[in-house]
Amino acid sequence: MSTPTPMLLLRASELTGRPVVTLGGELVAEIKDVVFDRTGGRIAGFTLRNPGLFSRSRKDSLPWSGVHGVGRDAVMVADEAVLIPAKELAPRKQAHKANVLEDRVLTDKGRDLGRVVDVVLHSGRSLDVVGYEVQASEALGTAGRRVFIPLPNTMAVSGENLIVPAAATEFVSEDLAGFGAAVEAFRSRLREGTDDAL
Amino acid sequence: MLFSQTRKHNVVSTATATRVARVDGFVVLPGPARVALLRLGKVSGAGTLLAWEDLQSFGPDAVTVATDTVIRPARDTVEQRAEDNDLEIIGKRVLTERGMELGSVTDVDFDPETGAVTSLITKAETISGSRLIGLGGYAVVVSA
Repeated sequence: MSTPTPMLLLRASELTGRPVVTLGGELVAEIKDVVFDRTGGRIAGFTLRNPGLFSRSRKDSLPWSGVHGVGRDAVMVADEAVLIPAKELAPRKQAHKANVLEDRVLTDKGRDLGRVVDVVLHSGRSLDVVGYEVQASEALGTAGRRVFIPLPNTMAVSGENLIVPAAATEFVSEDLAGFGAAVEAFRSRLREGTDDAL
Repeated sequence: MLFSQTRKHNVVSTATATRVARVDGFVVLPGPARVALLRLGKVSGAGTLLAWEDLQSFGPDAVTVATDTVIRPARDTVEQRAEDNDLEIIGKRVLTERGMELGSVTDVDFDPETGAVTSLITKAETISGSRLIGLGGYAVVVSA
């Protein structure tokens, strides 16, 4: 298939506190929170705070278009000129990590799979939402444990309806390491259009 | 030649044949990676910077200058930060442009003829000087 390298996955919460550094080597800010694109299953950008112990939020934010790279140790930007006012990043009261957390995940067949505790992102050319980490309900057979549920690649992240195809329950993963393969398998199943049979 | 081998070298004026300063540090700038200035100690005047182009030569045992009048204070904000030691490369963390840390710089290899930085050395690896993208107060940034 089209996956020469394993997916590089991370939890949205891990990005909080990560330094934002220019290619010139200057520390600009720290990531405060992830702002999701309302419709595309992607990241719109990040809200920022000042680095340090008594870090305060800032009025500017980092749009995804201004990100040069997201790595384990820093979020890289060309320079400070890529920052925009936070109001422009999230003009409406839009889907936001804080809104997704604690929400229930339902299948399109109406089964409650659990409560969202984190959002799983794939770091590649863009930063895509590939799944939810949920506190599993009885429906999953791993009740009470945290598991990863894959999402279709165009899934909207919205605070209101966290609906996933029923087939997603077959690709639930108990660890992040194995989750990349599960996401791939799930999405390729959806592309083959066999979801109706379930 | 390594920074570690040349720190504390004397700067000698060939006009008076006397020691006029001591090498305290190096100011590296990118594009292309080079030693742009030397940071000096034990100077007699107000300035502590010596531009690479004002050197007579960077020898194995001493740095020579034609006259000590080439030692000068900072001329712009970058030089001011260099003089304040904010841009010191030794000990600074190395980040790739993809946001991955590669450790911190323990030494730098340079060409004493031209001042070109040939490599940045960390505990784990030797990074070609051609990969240097930027050097700021927080990090040394290299291409991935």
